[in-house]
Amino acid sequence: MTLAAMLLLVAIGFFAGGFGALAGVGGGIIVTPLLAIYFGLPMHQAIGVTLLCVIATSTATSSMYVERHVTDVRLGMTLELATTVGALIAALVAHHINRRTLAILFAGFLLYSAISMIKKAWDSRSAKKEEGIPDYTPQNYPAGLAASLIAGGFSGLLGIGGGPVKVPVMLLFMKVPLRVAAATSNFMIGVTAATSAYVYWGHGDVRLDIAAPLVAGVFTGSLLGAKISPKIRSFYILMLLVCITGWLAAEMIYKLFTGGFQ
Amino acid sequence: MNRQDVAADRVLSLTLKFGAYTAFALIVAGLLLQLAVPWGTKVTAVGLLVLLATPALRIIAACLQFLHERDFKYALVSFGVLAIVVLAYVLGL
Repeated sequence: MTLAAMLLLVAIGFFAGGFGALAGVGGGIIVTPLLAIYFGLPMHQAIGVTLLCVIATSTATSSMYVERHVTDVRLGMTLELATTVGALIAALVAHHINRRTLAILFAGFLLYSAISMIKKAWDSRSAKKEEGIPDYTPQNYPAGLAASLIAGGFSGLLGIGGGPVKVPVMLLFMKVPLRVAAATSNFMIGVTAATSAYVYWGHGDVRLDIAAPLVAGVFTGSLLGAKISPKIRSFYILMLLVCITGWLAAEMIYKLFTGGFQ
Repeated sequence: MNRQDVAADRVLSLTLKFGAYTAFALIVAGLLLQLAVPWGTKVTAVGLLVLLATPALRIIAACLQFLHERDFKYALVSFGVLAIVVLAYVLGL
């Protein structure tokens, strides 16, 4: 690999990790399409590499949240029973899905993410920052486990964390405070993505040469993002991410119509 | 009662930090070495393996910590998660 390509990958990882941590969304959604569209990686390899980035973000940032006692470790471990099963099944299935179908699913997911980030940005205008954590007892474990199974499935199929599925269910059905739900979801993502990654690895879909510079960038970006996120309003970062995901979705759809992703 | 488990939080955050920083140091060192010598890629590969192993290591740490606290229910839960992760590794091969 040339030095220029390596530095470009470090930069992509840095921005994906940084924006992800700042806006409270997974940065993985922009890494996969960038690799598939501009680096010409087959979808399975793009997802395999993204899974390593997702593990890096989760590992780096969740150590901070666990240290600050925001993460509910026991709840996280319990729900991981379901996310890992979902991830394992979906990763095994993904191997038998062709590249084009996977690209169609991913483009659909990008559009959905763009729309849900617009809503998140709108809500963030009135949200209060950094409040204390009220007492709670997690309720309705069946709902939480079901959502975790689906979130794990998304991880194995599309290489994403599955936060948008788990967090609302923990908040609404399990009655877990938002900050705890977000930190616990982030904690679970590392193990979930690792489960998928082991399967992709076994199928030869984890390109180490591409992953190494990306992961180096993701580590630095997400740590920096998590450090300064309490001081920054997420509205503008979310709107920027909406533009990027919207653009990438359009590029993917254009490429699908012109016969790409074969 | 379960939430503020300071000891478990400490063990887990240390495990995650150890994995993250070791992986990061090896990957950066490997990327720099790669520019000078061909075996640099082996160092980055080891770094990525450490990254891949960290989540599994974190589950083992949780399992041992819960056993130490005699919280057998969650030790069993952790063991269950570990079993699924190991199964994924085996089925992937």
